Amino acid sequence: MTKAHLNKLDNEALSALLDGEQHLTDAIIAEQDVTTFGRYALIGDAMRAQKNNNDIHIDISDRVALALESEPVYADFNKPKTQPQAITETVQDNKVVAFNWRKPVAQLAIAASVAMFAIMGVNTLPQNDPQQNEIPLLQTTPLTGMASPVSYSSAAPALENAELGLRELQQQRIGALVLEHQRQARVANSLETAQTNTKASEEKN
Amino acid sequence: MKVITFVLSLVVSFNAFANDTNPAKDLLLKMANAVHTRNFDASFVVVKGKTMEPYRWVHALQGDTELEHLSLLNGAGLEMVRIDNQVTYFEPQSEPYSLKTDSIAGPIPEVLFKDIDRLSAHYDFVLGGKGRIAGRAAQLVRIESKDEYKYNYWIWLDMESSLLLKAAYVNHEGEALEQLQLTHISVTEQPAGMLLEVLNRNFPTPLPNDALINEDSTATNWQISWLPDGFELLKSDRHKLDLNNELTDYYLFSDGFVEISVFIQRPLPGKRLSGALTSGATTVYVHNGGNFDVSVVGNVPSMTAKAIAESVTRAL
Repeated sequence: MTKAHLNKLDNEALSALLDGEQHLTDAIIAEQDVTTFGRYALIGDAMRAQKNNNDIHIDISDRVALALESEPVYADFNKPKTQPQAITETVQDNKVVAFNWRKPVAQLAIAASVAMFAIMGVNTLPQNDPQQNEIPLLQTTPLTGMASPVSYSSAAPALENAELGLRELQQQRIGALVLEHQRQARVANSLETAQTNTKASEEKN
Repeated sequence: MKVITFVLSLVVSFNAFANDTNPAKDLLLKMANAVHTRNFDASFVVVKGKTMEPYRWVHALQGDTELEHLSLLNGAGLEMVRIDNQVTYFEPQSEPYSLKTDSIAGPIPEVLFKDIDRLSAHYDFVLGGKGRIAGRAAQLVRIESKDEYKYNYWIWLDMESSLLLKAAYVNHEGEALEQLQLTHISVTEQPAGMLLEVLNRNFPTPLPNDALINEDSTATNWQISWLPDGFELLKSDRHKLDLNNELTDYYLFSDGFVEISVFIQRPLPGKRLSGALTSGATTVYVHNGGNFDVSVVGNVPSMTAKAIAESVTRAL
């Protein structure tokens, strides 16, 4: 309703009509931009309404509702809270279910599982060989995942950045190796039994 | 008189020889049996240097079915469930999977739950002192490596139930490198209800055992010319590592007690340095082999890992 007024406000005659006051059609006001006219119109509406003891009826709720409907939904608070849980439950049902295993937040999973294998290492080799003194610690900052990406440390010179990157590569590799060792060790026992069994059967034959 | 004493002592010592049932070994076998037959609910921590990992360990025997659950309680966790001869591993990041094996590969060496006898060739079993662990009377049994290339393993057993109360990897200077200590254990007549619930769950079908052994073995690609006595090759292949997707030639060795992994990979860019890292008893030795990098991972002293890594050459 109000917007309809606004659109026509550049028409001088109409604006005068709207206000019902001749002096407002002066050149000064005509020069005002459309939004100013809009405000004037609204004020005028309000004043007239006060005079006539009428309520101002600017109902935008319909239009807001309309606009909201076409908005993409970011968070839907109307839907019952149980629904998303129900969804995840069905997803879990489709999968193999752990005993009381809860799949953790992805970020935590990565950080913590790597941290599990973080090696708080030191060079433990005996120092009798002078050459070995040069073996630096394959450092050792725990791989807790909170280390900022290389690009963030903008103050550090490029060379240092590159070194950091390399060290990260090395840490990644060591983490991967330790994890792999743990996994492979799990099959060791069945492999061993299989080997001894085949050996035993070979000896029999 | 003296002669009689001498003869007597001879007879006694001969008798001791005749019943050459090593009491330490007996205790270990008793422990292996107890771990398979008792219903218990235990909590323990593994201390590696400055880090600590808490675990819960529950076991039950329901009829003829053995149920076991071991879970790492900190961080993203790790859960292992065993139903008789099937162990399922639940890890963060990857889908759960099952293996056909009769013991969980957790922080306790698997062989301790089995016939320890096969270690006799390379380890001695020695009875140690008595003490009090986790509020119970405990007997120490030492598994001592016959050479200096492996760590010793000390185990404290509950004198009443024969269950494990404490264990440690000990180096040859007598320092404990990695300790496992029970903080609580309750042994019950009836199996724990929470464990019986496992029977109602579905688990992934275990991989067939022959699927574990890769067809295109890479055993001939590299020459690993030195290993401590008793270690045998269990598998070798070429595969990608899970975490960083790097390709590696892989070798797995075991002496029945500890496993050693040897990785041979393309060199990382930049200045590559050789050196060791340790966490508890686990050693990672990274060796710059010129055109390739060798990494050795396992619960062995870093000198052993170093010697293995440096013995790797390209096969001719």
